Amino acid sequence: MNIKILDSWLRDFLITKATALEIAEKLSLTSVSIERVEPLGKDWVYDIEVTTNRPDLMSVVGIAREASAVLPQFGINAKFIAPKLPTPKTSNEKASLTIHNDKLLVHRLCAVVMEVRIKPSPKYIQERLETSNIRSLNNVIDVTNYVMRTIGHPTHVFDYDRIANHTIIVQESKKGEQITTLDNKTYTLEGGDIIAVDGDKNIIDLLGVMGLKNTVVTNDTKRIIFFIDNNDTAKIRKTSMGLSIRTDAAILNEKGVDPQLAYDALYYGINLLEKIADGKIASDITDMYPGKPKPTTVSVSQETINKVIGINIPLKTSITILEDLGFTTSVKQNTITVNIPSHRLSDITIEEDIVEEVARVYGYQNIPSILPSQNTMRITKRNNAFYWESVVKSALKYWGFTETYTYSFVSEELFEGTITDAIEIQNQLSSDWVYMRRTLIPSLLQVLRENKTFETIKIFELANVYEKNGKDLPTQTSTLAGVVKKKNVSFFEVKGIIEQLFLDLGIQKFKFSKRTAGGNGADVYIENVKIGEIEILDEEIVDFELDFSMIGKYATTKKVYRPIAKYPPIIEDMSLVISADIQTDKIIEEIKKQSKLIVSVTLLDIYQNTRTFHIIYQDKQRNLTGKEVGEIREKIIKTFKSKFKAEIR
Amino acid sequence: MIGIKNAAISFVLEAQNQAELEEIKLQFLGRSGQLTLALKEIPKLSLENRAEVGKLANEVKNTIEETIEQKISEFKTQKSKVTKEKIDVTNPGIRPPLGHLHLITQAISEITDIFSRIGFTRVAYPEIEWDYYAFTALNFPENHPARDDWETFFINQAPDPKKGQVILTPHTSSGQVREMLSQVAHDKINIKMLNIAKCYRRQSDVSHTPMFHQFEGLVIGENISITHLKGTLDYFVKSYFGEKRTSRIRPYHFQFTEPSFEVDVTCGVCLGQGCKLCKAGWLEMGGAGMVHPNVLKYGGIDSKKFTGFAFGWGVERVLMMKEGIEIDDLRLLYSNKLEFLEQF
Repeated sequence: MNIKILDSWLRDFLITKATALEIAEKLSLTSVSIERVEPLGKDWVYDIEVTTNRPDLMSVVGIAREASAVLPQFGINAKFIAPKLPTPKTSNEKASLTIHNDKLLVHRLCAVVMEVRIKPSPKYIQERLETSNIRSLNNVIDVTNYVMRTIGHPTHVFDYDRIANHTIIVQESKKGEQITTLDNKTYTLEGGDIIAVDGDKNIIDLLGVMGLKNTVVTNDTKRIIFFIDNNDTAKIRKTSMGLSIRTDAAILNEKGVDPQLAYDALYYGINLLEKIADGKIASDITDMYPGKPKPTTVSVSQETINKVIGINIPLKTSITILEDLGFTTSVKQNTITVNIPSHRLSDITIEEDIVEEVARVYGYQNIPSILPSQNTMRITKRNNAFYWESVVKSALKYWGFTETYTYSFVSEELFEGTITDAIEIQNQLSSDWVYMRRTLIPSLLQVLRENKTFETIKIFELANVYEKNGKDLPTQTSTLAGVVKKKNVSFFEVKGIIEQLFLDLGIQKFKFSKRTAGGNGADVYIENVKIGEIEILDEEIVDFELDFSMIGKYATTKKVYRPIAKYPPIIEDMSLVISADIQTDKIIEEIKKQSKLIVSVTLLDIYQNTRTFHIIYQDKQRNLTGKEVGEIREKIIKTFKSKFKAEIR
Repeated sequence: MIGIKNAAISFVLEAQNQAELEEIKLQFLGRSGQLTLALKEIPKLSLENRAEVGKLANEVKNTIEETIEQKISEFKTQKSKVTKEKIDVTNPGIRPPLGHLHLITQAISEITDIFSRIGFTRVAYPEIEWDYYAFTALNFPENHPARDDWETFFINQAPDPKKGQVILTPHTSSGQVREMLSQVAHDKINIKMLNIAKCYRRQSDVSHTPMFHQFEGLVIGENISITHLKGTLDYFVKSYFGEKRTSRIRPYHFQFTEPSFEVDVTCGVCLGQGCKLCKAGWLEMGGAGMVHPNVLKYGGIDSKKFTGFAFGWGVERVLMMKEGIEIDDLRLLYSNKLEFLEQF
C-alpha cells in the first residue's frame, strides 16, 4: 500500500528540526520505506510504502507518531502532537436516526446527523488531498477523505433526507441483489456482502467499500449522516475483490483498522465539518461498539532478544525503544511484559514481533555482519544433477549450440498430446500461456520460426516437462532438447553429439534404433532403457529430446585404469560390398564374433554399397603373426559370403 | 686427425644445400674419403699409439657425422621457411565452434559458486506445487490479503483436502518447509540450503515476466541470528557485484519471517550517491528475514531450540543490477531472439 502525504501536513502532528530528507532517510531505515521525497514549491511530498501489517501507518497521524519514536534514536529531537479532538457542541434540535447493527458484520458503528452547506473546500485541504492522489469534490465529501488520511479510519456520508424513515439497517446481502455505486456503475452482488438498507429496504450502502448513488451527497444536500463503520475484514475483502472495487477505504478496511480510531475520526470530522461546511450537529451521537478488542500483552526475555539479534542489547535500551513506540512495559527477572496498544493489536502477537520492534529501532545498521560457522557443512556429492547439468551445458556451448529459455507454459497450438490430459492454468493471463508443456520441441521450433533470418541455427534447452499424475502433483521431469537447422543437415551430426555427450558423462552402454513413434529418426537407449529420440523433421531440421533425469542416473565420474598394451596391434582396413539392408552395427558385431583377437571394429567409410571397416587385432600377451591374422581374415570373408552374400573388395 | 676434423666441419658449416653436404660426406667419410684413408694407416702405427689414435679417429668420425646430421635438419626446417608464403595475419583465424549459454544460466552458476564456497547445498523442489507449501506452511492464513502480492497461477485440478490447490510456485520459499521436513530425521538440525528454481506470477510488463527465477537461502541451526543474515548478505553482495558495492537491510513485512527485511544494494551507476536509476543511491534486491516460529513448527523444528534466516531474491533482478546489463525490457530475456542471446 502506498500513500503520498505533504511534509507540511505531517508537521501538524510532529515537531522536529529534522528536514524532510532526514525524516525520509531515518524512517526508511527503521520503519516504513519512503520511496521518494520530492520538492513541491516550498513543501515536500513523501511517497510512502506501508507494509500490509501496519495499516496504522496509512495515515498522517500514524507516520507522525512513528517518526517521533525513531528520530530520537538518531539523536534528533522529535515530539508527537496528538490531533485535537474537542467535544462537539450538541444541539437541542433532535433529528431522528434509527440504526440497527449486526455485530457480526460491524464491530463499531458511529453516526451523527449534521446540517451542512455544500461548497468547495478551502485551498489547503484541496492541495493536501490532490497531492495524496484523492480528487477534491466538495467540502463534505472532502472531509470524509481528509479524515481518513489524517486519522487512518475510513468514513462515509449519506444525504440524510434521501434515507427512508431515517433508518439504517446493517445486514448481509442476498445473491442477485443489485446496486449502483456513486460512480454510477451497477453491480450484481454475490451475497454475503455487508450492506445497509433504509426503512423502505432500499440498499443504501456497500459498507466499507463504496457509497451508493441513491444516497450520495449532492449540491442540494442540506443534512448529512456522518457515518463511521469498522467492519469484518474478511467480508470487506471478499466484496472488494469479487466486485473489483478497490477503493482506498476498502484496501484499508480489509487490512483491519483500529476500532479505537472510529471515535477519533468522528470527532475530528465533526470539528472539520463545523469549520469548513458550516456544520451543526442535529442529532444525538450514536456509538455502537460490540467488537471492542480485549487488551493483550506479550512477554519476551532479554535472552530471546539477544539470541535473535545476535548481540547484547541492554534491557534498558529495549524498554526505552518500546516505550517510545507507544507501548507500556513492565519488567520481571529480565523478562519484559509489553502491553499492546489497540492500533498494534493485529500486528504484535508473539515475542518475535517485539524483537523486531527493538531491532529495527536499535538500527540494523548497528548490528555487525558475521558469516555463519563453517564447521557444520553437510556432506554432498559433487556429481549430482546440477553438476551434470553444467557439464552438458558447457559441452553443447563448445559444440556451437546456443541455449534458450522458453516459457514452461504453451498455447493450445504448441501443446503436443491430448488436450484432455493437459495440465491447464485456471486463471490464464494470455492465450499464449495455457498448458504446461509435455515436450520442449515445439518451443524450440517456435524459436526457429522467430529467427527466420538465420540460415544456420543450433539451439538447446534444459528444462522440466510436466505430466498429469492422478490426484497427486504432476510429474516434473528434467529434459534436454536441441534443434539443428541448416541446409542438408545430417542425422549423424545430431547422433554424434549425443554419442559424445554420453561418452563424456561416462555412459558406455547406449544404442540407437529405428524410431517406434513413426517419422524418420531414432530412439535412444541407455542400457536398454529408452531415454529419448532423434527426429528428422525435414531437409533442414533435425531435433532431439532426452530424459535428463535418466541421463543423470547413468552418468558417472568413475574412472577405470586398463594397462597399456605391451605388444603392438595389427591394423587393417577391410572393404565389404554388402546389401544396404544389413545394419552397420550387425556387421560390426559379426566381425567381432570371429575372433577374440579382434579388439576394435569401426566403420571408416561408405561408398555406394561398399562399407570399409577399420579392424584392430591385438593380443595382450604376445606379438601377433601375419599368419594368425590372415586366418582370421579368411574366416571373416567366408562368414560374410555365406551369411550376407558379401564380397571383399 | 684434428686437421681432418677441422677441415670437415668448416666445409659442413659452409655447405649451401643438401647436395653439397652429400659431397662433403663422401669426401671425408666415403670409401676413399680422407678420414677413411687415414683410418687405413692406423695398423701401421706402434701398438701403444694404435689404441690412442683409434679412439681419436672414432671421435672425429662421430663429430663429423653429427655435424652433418645437424646441418641436414637445419636445411629441412629452412626448407619450410624458404617456402615462406606471405600471410596476411589480419585474415580471420579458423575457430572451433562456440555457442552461448543463456544469461540466466550464467547468473545461476555464479550464484551457486558463491554460496557453495560458504557451505550452502543446492537443492530443487517442485515448480508445480501445493498451496500448502507455498502459503499455508509459510504462515499465510486462508484468504489473507498478503496472498495477493504473489499473483499466483492456479492449475485446473481438484484440490487436495489437506494440501489445497495445485499452483505454479510463485516463489522459491515453497522449498523451505520441504527442506526442513527432509532434515528433521537427522539428529542435528543443520540446514544451509540454496534453492534456485523457476517461479511463476501472473504479470507481464517491462519489469516482470510470467516465468522468472529466484534463489532462496535457508540457514537453520542453534544460535543463528540477524548478524549471520547480514554476514551472508554482505559476502554475497561483495562477491557478486564487486568490492565497491555495499548492502543494507531495512524493516519490511513478510508472513513467513519475523523480523522481516528488505535488502538494498548501492546503485552500480552512482555507487550510492543517488541518480535517476535508483532510490537515493540504493536499489532494492529483495526480501529476507528470520524464519517465523510458525514456519519452523510446520517444518517439525523446535523454535525454542533452533533459529534461522531465509532470503529469496530474483535471479533476473540481481542480473539487471550488475554493471553493464541494464536491459530496458526484462521480457527480452525470454524472447529468444538470437541477436540477443549471441551477445553473451
